Amino acid sequence: MGKYIAKRIGYMALVFLIVSLLMYSLYNLIPSDPARAELEAQKQGLTPAEYERMYQELRERMGLDDPLLIRYARWMGLWPDVEDQGFNGLLEGNFGYSQFFKQDVIEVIKAPMSNTIFINIFSTILALGITIPLGIYCAVHKGKRIDNGVQVVTMLGYSIPIYIIALIFMFFFCVVWRIFPISGTKTAGAIYASKWEEFIDMLHHITLPVIVMTFASLGGMTRYVRSSMIDALSMDYIRTARAKGLKEKVVIYSHAWRNALLPVVTSIIGWFISIFSGSVIVETTFSLNGMGKLYWTGLNNLDFELVLAIQMFYTVVALMGSLIMDISYGLVDPRVRVDK
Amino acid sequence: MTDKKKEFFLWRWLKRGLGVGRKELSFEEEEQIQTPMRAMVSNFVHRKLAMLGLIVFLSIFVFVMIGPKFWPLDLSDQDASLVNLPPSSNMMKVPEAMLKAGVADIAAGNTYGIGTDKNGEIYVWGHSRITDKIDVANIPDEVREADIVSIAAGTDHVVALAEDGEVYVWGNTRLKQDKFGNDMKKAMKAGGEDWEVVQLEASNQFSAIVCSDGNLYLWGNGNMADIKIRSKYEGKIAKVALTENEYISLLKDGTVAYTGYKDKNSPFARVPDELDELTVKDIASTSKTVAAITEDGQIFVWGNATKGENKIPEFASKPVKLYGGRYHYTALLEDGSIVTWGDNKYKQLNVPADIANAGNIERIFVSNYQNYALDTEGKVHTWGLKGFVLGTDGLGRDMLTRIVNGGKVTMTVGAISVIIATILGILFGGIAGYFGGRIDILVMRIAEIVGGLPFIPFAMILSAVIGSRIDPTQRMYLIMVVLGVLSWVPTCRLVRAQILAQREMEYVTAAKAMGIKEGTIVFRHILPNVISLLIVSMTLDFATCMLTESTLSYLGFGIPLPTPTWGNLLNGANNSIVIQQYWWQWVFPAAIFGVCTICINLIGDGLRDALDPKALGR
Repeated sequence: MGKYIAKRIGYMALVFLIVSLLMYSLYNLIPSDPARAELEAQKQGLTPAEYERMYQELRERMGLDDPLLIRYARWMGLWPDVEDQGFNGLLEGNFGYSQFFKQDVIEVIKAPMSNTIFINIFSTILALGITIPLGIYCAVHKGKRIDNGVQVVTMLGYSIPIYIIALIFMFFFCVVWRIFPISGTKTAGAIYASKWEEFIDMLHHITLPVIVMTFASLGGMTRYVRSSMIDALSMDYIRTARAKGLKEKVVIYSHAWRNALLPVVTSIIGWFISIFSGSVIVETTFSLNGMGKLYWTGLNNLDFELVLAIQMFYTVVALMGSLIMDISYGLVDPRVRVDK
Repeated sequence: MTDKKKEFFLWRWLKRGLGVGRKELSFEEEEQIQTPMRAMVSNFVHRKLAMLGLIVFLSIFVFVMIGPKFWPLDLSDQDASLVNLPPSSNMMKVPEAMLKAGVADIAAGNTYGIGTDKNGEIYVWGHSRITDKIDVANIPDEVREADIVSIAAGTDHVVALAEDGEVYVWGNTRLKQDKFGNDMKKAMKAGGEDWEVVQLEASNQFSAIVCSDGNLYLWGNGNMADIKIRSKYEGKIAKVALTENEYISLLKDGTVAYTGYKDKNSPFARVPDELDELTVKDIASTSKTVAAITEDGQIFVWGNATKGENKIPEFASKPVKLYGGRYHYTALLEDGSIVTWGDNKYKQLNVPADIANAGNIERIFVSNYQNYALDTEGKVHTWGLKGFVLGTDGLGRDMLTRIVNGGKVTMTVGAISVIIATILGILFGGIAGYFGGRIDILVMRIAEIVGGLPFIPFAMILSAVIGSRIDPTQRMYLIMVVLGVLSWVPTCRLVRAQILAQREMEYVTAAKAMGIKEGTIVFRHILPNVISLLIVSMTLDFATCMLTESTLSYLGFGIPLPTPTWGNLLNGANNSIVIQQYWWQWVFPAAIFGVCTICINLIGDGLRDALDPKALGR
């Protein structure tokens, strides 16, 4: 097992390097000149000759004239900087400088990252808490009226794009009933008496996005749990278990559910990754201060160092997800020998 | 079998093609006689829900593919006078009560009609809410009590003239639409001979009155409009025609002149030279042009004619009266027939056949996109803009047109990306599955990388980086390619898995034994056996691609505006004003798109179940 994990991690690092190189070269297609941008402020007080000299110096200092691969390695932190010859890149924790926010990317990312992770984990737990029991119930009561009703609702849930669901929920909850605010993560201009109050205010703001995300992911997951449960329930060993006179509860939860778990685990992780990137839509729709919204803002303002950093975050999340998926495969199903 | 011959051959082919209309086969028979493809189709058509989905989807598909022929898209289209209109079709619905009492005057604002009957009552119809608070249907009490004889409708205000010479203004009055000039107040106060109004006009935030003594009074928003008169024309004016922000006058001596102060650079001040020798009988104006009709029936149009206002048709007889709408003219000829020319976007040129040459028309009221013709029996005939079935958006564009054309774009993009994805998937899957070994590992690793990329963010960055330097049409192709290139992985896995299974079958061994090339075996022998599975995955991928395209467009990284797609129609809908007040701008696109994706998923599920013998209970 240990060997397998090590192999997977090595492979992951390779993929990460390839993807980041790809992204970096894509980013370099953008016609932009950070040296010129930095000099722009002092341009007024300089003669053209001085300006040109300083510009060339700056270009050299920034290493803009080096080949793409070296610049990439420098950005990644695998190649020494021109100035102080030290390693200072992504791997050392330097995510770059955001032109739009005029701040280090790491500072810009902090608050949105915690928001995004909070929202995603919250809605994942909520969705799992609903879908697994619901899926099992529907599988056991297959073909009954409740099952058919749930099938219709889940069909709607996974067919309708998430932003349309968001608009409908906004219409009812924000406009008609006025229960939740329509956008943002906190009340504008609010001064909080305590941390607790601040937390409650944030909770009030993110409840609707979390509901929307949960609702949107209900459909697919419920259907998945249901179908894998139905497959498990149609097996011969279930008939055997029932013939032995076991309690129905034991048959369902101990015999069927354990076997239905395997495909469910696979899909849960895939789905967890997809909601991370899917939260771009929800965050932009609700103007939530999250990674997705930040990504959107960065792209719209051509702030590519920020965008690149967030893209790397998404890639890492995706890679971690697939690693966890592979490992949990082995944990859930002893038949799958991952170390082979 | 004589019965069979009588059947129409196309029908018979259709039946055979779909595998319906023959007797049920037991499943052993089915397996022996039917190809898997046909078995799937015949199982599919027996599923009610899936068939319903198919029918609804096909109708939507046909609708959006043929629809653009009837509702052609004009990308530069926008109309400030028609923004945010709710769905309606009552803009020319003249109230019955008014017809009974006898029509005295009718005027049409942008989106509403207003009229008076012979008892001095006022009627309003159409969409009369100008803003949240202002509604021209809220007629002030003093106007209700007065006997109104004449009425004029501007963009957002209404001017009414009472029998006693009093003038009333209501509607939007924030831009001085109701502030009369001092000389006009004086003349109105003096009353009597000096204050006999012969013409009442209203346009974009300003209004005009012509008195029988030849005086013209203008008032309203002087920042926009030319509301001054050169003193040398005082007492000489017989009629006035208002354009959007300017006006021309017909003088009592039969000449036309620009009597305002903006005559230096106004296109209306360049009155055609030919008119100097002729006597002008009537003038009229559209929003950007003016026209004059001479005593001998010649018509001259000048100004910024951009929508065919100056393409005067041949007349069968002498035109005697001329009326101007926003971008069109309507002329009444001597023999009583009606001729129109200019812009025909809202069918404002299509005179009903029963009155075009009937000769019983007494008066015509034309403004904006509406035409009202009053015949001798007191009946009102209308033609022009009735309203918008699905409302208009924030730039005054018809939602129906945008939805139909947007559907075409969304479906085209979805279909082409699916085709790209499927071709790539088959190619890579086929290669990986058949050759195996190192090639397999390599291809599957690539697939893993591409499949593991977070889809939406990656598509966004591709679209932003590459899309910033190409034009909108190329960007549309770019989106298709990006979607296709990012979504071939599931198809690839499916094909590979199928080929791995099929490779061990006897027919492949047989083919090998006959010395057939490997490539031929993969693509000509194995692939046809996998095709039914591919169809299912293509159907479901089609929905996914449409969803992704619309999501990208919704976020602003897909197809750029003004090209409509179902996604970018909803772009900007996420604020409370649009959600609440302009509900038609998001409900209709969301509904048709939602129905469409639901149908595709129903079809896909139906196909999958039809293919899966387990689902049939065997």
